[in-house]
Amino acid sequence: MDNPLLRIEHLTKRFGGVVAVDDVSLSIDEGELFAIVGPNGAGKTTLFNLINGVLLPDEGRMLFEGRDITHVPVYRRASLGIGRTFQIPRPFGAASVRENVAIGALFGRLAGKVSVEQALAIADDYIRRVGLRTDADKPCAVLTPVERKLMELARALAMKPKLLLMDEAMAGMNPKEIDGLVALLQRIKGEGVAVMALVEHIMRAVAGLAERVIVLHQGAVLADASTEAALSDPEVVAVYFGKPPG
Amino acid sequence: MKLHRQDLENYYALLPVLGAYLALLLVGSSQPDVWQLVAMLAFYCALGQAFNLFLGMTGYVDFGYVAFVGVGTYGMALSISGLSDMPDLGVWVIVIGLLVGAAMATVLSLAVGAVALRLRGAYFAIATIGVNEGFRYFIEGTHIWNGSDGIVFSRDLRLIFGRETAIELTTFWADVLVIGIAAMAAVVTLIYMRSKIGYALTALRADEDAAKVIGINVTKYKIMAFITSAVFAGLLGGAAWALKLTYVFPSDVFEIHYTVEAIVIVMLGGAGTLLGPIAGGLVYGLSKYWLAVILPGFQLLLFAPLLLVIVVLFPEGLVGVLKKRLRGHPLAKLII
Repeated sequence: MDNPLLRIEHLTKRFGGVVAVDDVSLSIDEGELFAIVGPNGAGKTTLFNLINGVLLPDEGRMLFEGRDITHVPVYRRASLGIGRTFQIPRPFGAASVRENVAIGALFGRLAGKVSVEQALAIADDYIRRVGLRTDADKPCAVLTPVERKLMELARALAMKPKLLLMDEAMAGMNPKEIDGLVALLQRIKGEGVAVMALVEHIMRAVAGLAERVIVLHQGAVLADASTEAALSDPEVVAVYFGKPPG
Repeated sequence: MKLHRQDLENYYALLPVLGAYLALLLVGSSQPDVWQLVAMLAFYCALGQAFNLFLGMTGYVDFGYVAFVGVGTYGMALSISGLSDMPDLGVWVIVIGLLVGAAMATVLSLAVGAVALRLRGAYFAIATIGVNEGFRYFIEGTHIWNGSDGIVFSRDLRLIFGRETAIELTTFWADVLVIGIAAMAAVVTLIYMRSKIGYALTALRADEDAAKVIGINVTKYKIMAFITSAVFAGLLGGAAWALKLTYVFPSDVFEIHYTVEAIVIVMLGGAGTLLGPIAGGLVYGLSKYWLAVILPGFQLLLFAPLLLVIVVLFPEGLVGVLKKRLRGHPLAKLII
């Protein structure tokens, strides 16, 4: 734990009087797969936005591979190795599935090292790996919601990230699709990619996916423990289901 | 670098574009009666082709665009009037004029872009409205470049080239140059589309925030498109306005209605398509010409209804619609 991939120290973000992220400290190791859970409004997405630079924190700092990235612009964090998918997928509409994924390869961690032709080949590879069975020449605008999620995952993976931030990747998927995705994430983890998944509801996925869970509540870390320990923590149970009577 | 079959196929789409410009040139030069009409059409195609590099590829509307054409015109005017005592330079004066105009457009676009391109969408559009008017009043107020008296350089042109050649330059070669500039802008557009730059622009046009998250330095690519587009505007000003008319007045060139015409042409033909500016330029130019014949003085009424119809009925423009129809068809390689 001396040299974590990402170390977050006392991160705080306020929106007016609301403290969305409250003194959060945590660290992530290479190849670690873990979930951030918490009810709606717990500050999960804000934390993600701080990590990939869409928002700047009011206090605290972040180290990625030992380097201070607290004020590094969004696009440069991507080339350092931070990839992300969105809760509601954001495909580049008119471009085809293949072109969308190739953009990830062209501008992610491989930026400057691959030609357009190579990026298109990388794209085909990841489209296949995420299990997206569709005509890759189709414009992204005509994909189904689940296909969009998979396309976005392929695009993020084509960036060859060291840390993949996944915002509610499983929302809207059926159990079979979730199992397929969990298996894929296990393989990605095997390749040394750290995965940080935001999960609001799907405990089935959390239990199968992550060995470690961080529970956020009102912006602060309520628990940071193994999945089993966190999910049986009475405080966590209280946040999710309310306090038991008596 | 080895040229693969795929590389060649990527550039098939240049055939219809260059074919169209060649046709325009051949029709015009073989039929003296229609040369003026062809020259006007070529100007509109070139204006669209140059503007499309920015508006079409980034989705940003620059209301001050004509200022780049204006400074390009001044670049040529200043070069010809300044070099008239060096007739030995001959045709190099024109080359220098084009380069000076392009350089002036580059400097202006860097200055405008560095500030305005940090703004988004509508805010960018509003910020650029002032550029054109501002530059005009700057010239008139500070009396640089002769202020509102403009620069008249027909005499200088005759001094350099002699009477015959000067006439040929203004009545024929200036328009040939415009067609050449349009074709060059089209080639650059396709090179951009096929390269990393095009992928970056496609992404940022669709969703700028998502593009940043993917690792795209959006400001850098917007400025690249902006400068490229401005350079072609500068060249166009030097050829179509300075060389053709042999005078320049600030109130003539810094005139916002050319920007509006450029927007109509690009939108009508299909923003971000390669062939769009040709389709848009020809249709717009011909309808304007026809309207000038049947309803003289009412040509300007064309803008508003035309733009409304495009935005409501077919926002992808003529070529955009055609492209959609041709999906999967062998011809799709040619129409982009």
